[in-house]
Amino acid sequence: MDAIIQVKDLSKSFGPNVVLSDIDIEINRQEVVVVVGPSGSGKSTFLRCLNLLEMPERGEITIDGRPLLDKHTRIEEIRAEVGMVFQHFNLFPHMSVIDNIMLSPMKVRKRSPEQARKKGMELLGKVGLTDKAEAYPSSLSGGQAQRVAIARALAMEPKIMLFDEPTSALDPEMIGEVLAVMKDLAREGMTMVVVTHEMGFAREVGNRIVFMEQGRILEISSPEQLFDHPKHERTKEFLSKIL
Amino acid sequence: MADFRFDIIWDYFPLFMRGTLYTIGISVSGIILGSILGLLIGFGNMSSRWYLRLPMRGYIHFFRGTPLLLQILIVHYGVVYNVLGTTDAIVAAIVALALNAAAYTAEIYRAGIQSIDRGQSEAAKSLGMTHFQMMRYIIVPQAVKRMIPAFGNEFIVLIKDSSLVAVIAAPELMYWSRAASSQYGKIWEPYLTAAVIYLFLTYSLNKLLIYLERKM
Repeated sequence: MDAIIQVKDLSKSFGPNVVLSDIDIEINRQEVVVVVGPSGSGKSTFLRCLNLLEMPERGEITIDGRPLLDKHTRIEEIRAEVGMVFQHFNLFPHMSVIDNIMLSPMKVRKRSPEQARKKGMELLGKVGLTDKAEAYPSSLSGGQAQRVAIARALAMEPKIMLFDEPTSALDPEMIGEVLAVMKDLAREGMTMVVVTHEMGFAREVGNRIVFMEQGRILEISSPEQLFDHPKHERTKEFLSKIL
Repeated sequence: MADFRFDIIWDYFPLFMRGTLYTIGISVSGIILGSILGLLIGFGNMSSRWYLRLPMRGYIHFFRGTPLLLQILIVHYGVVYNVLGTTDAIVAAIVALALNAAAYTAEIYRAGIQSIDRGQSEAAKSLGMTHFQMMRYIIVPQAVKRMIPAFGNEFIVLIKDSSLVAVIAAPELMYWSRAASSQYGKIWEPYLTAAVIYLFLTYSLNKLLIYLERKM
């Protein structure tokens, strides 16, 4: 298979707390991997290691053939290829929606303002927010803000998208609109790693589900396998609590 | 107070005015030079490199932890003559106030930048921006707005503290007030005049800052 993300023996601790230990996984091009598990299981830390927002202590990460932790690797170049969507959106509040989206393509990818705007408007159309181009983030609802954040990440034309609990800070009635955008993206063949508590999404969209606990991967299975016939007692217990 | 002599104020009026202009000039130069120097010191202090961070931290501790009067005397008699080769008290006054303001503004920069939510820098990094691009387009524009009140405060303090340079005979407002006081043996006439002028300066600056803050 054609692995775009390869993780070997990834480990990390904060002081005496081990948050990741010996994580091994390969993720293929166009695959959607959903990471689930109780809070504090290390799933967000794992995700944030994939673009080095967290520094691993040990192990190897390869993104599209490039070793992330090699000191000759320019981390900015890899981050430009790996989009990330955050729980709290993290839009830039001092810029309009379209400027949020255009900034990085212009400054990092050196696109012309015209090119960046055209692509930005196209992406706003895709997330259904063309009319909000000139609005400021403070005037958006949570669901709208998160869709803008997705458009902003896509504007860099990334090869991989990371989602860190993208719906956890949203009101229930707004979760659907964000998940719909993510489903579209999966259908178009984007490689996605999604940390979420939305089990419906995991089952419907995920190609593989990773169950993590206490910094370890306990189980990697297909959605059917994991939800209907979990191997581990701990997985069963977790699922019985949240389903 | 019954024998309040307006003629003293009148006699000294040109000197009060000239002194006021010097006070303004010294304070404005001090805050501008201090802010520029403070920017370097502030960013040095936030650096992850110890050889940049430690000296800057030492600088900040020294200038915030010793009396300004002492700094003025050292700069005038010890530093300015030896380094710049001049005995001009105005130069020494500006240098001393700038060095002192740099320590305080360095802390304003630090506080302003650290007040920006970590999510902002994470978003910028995740979009492939370099550290410089992140600072330039995301962090500093947001931080500057939050720094304005603290900067205004520092400027007001600096205007008042500039009166201390009277001890090295820099001919600013306080210097001429003391001169008038000793010439006539009077307290209220010169010092009350100086107080009114200082109050006018700090009050108008305060108003200007409130206006600026609202506009942004």
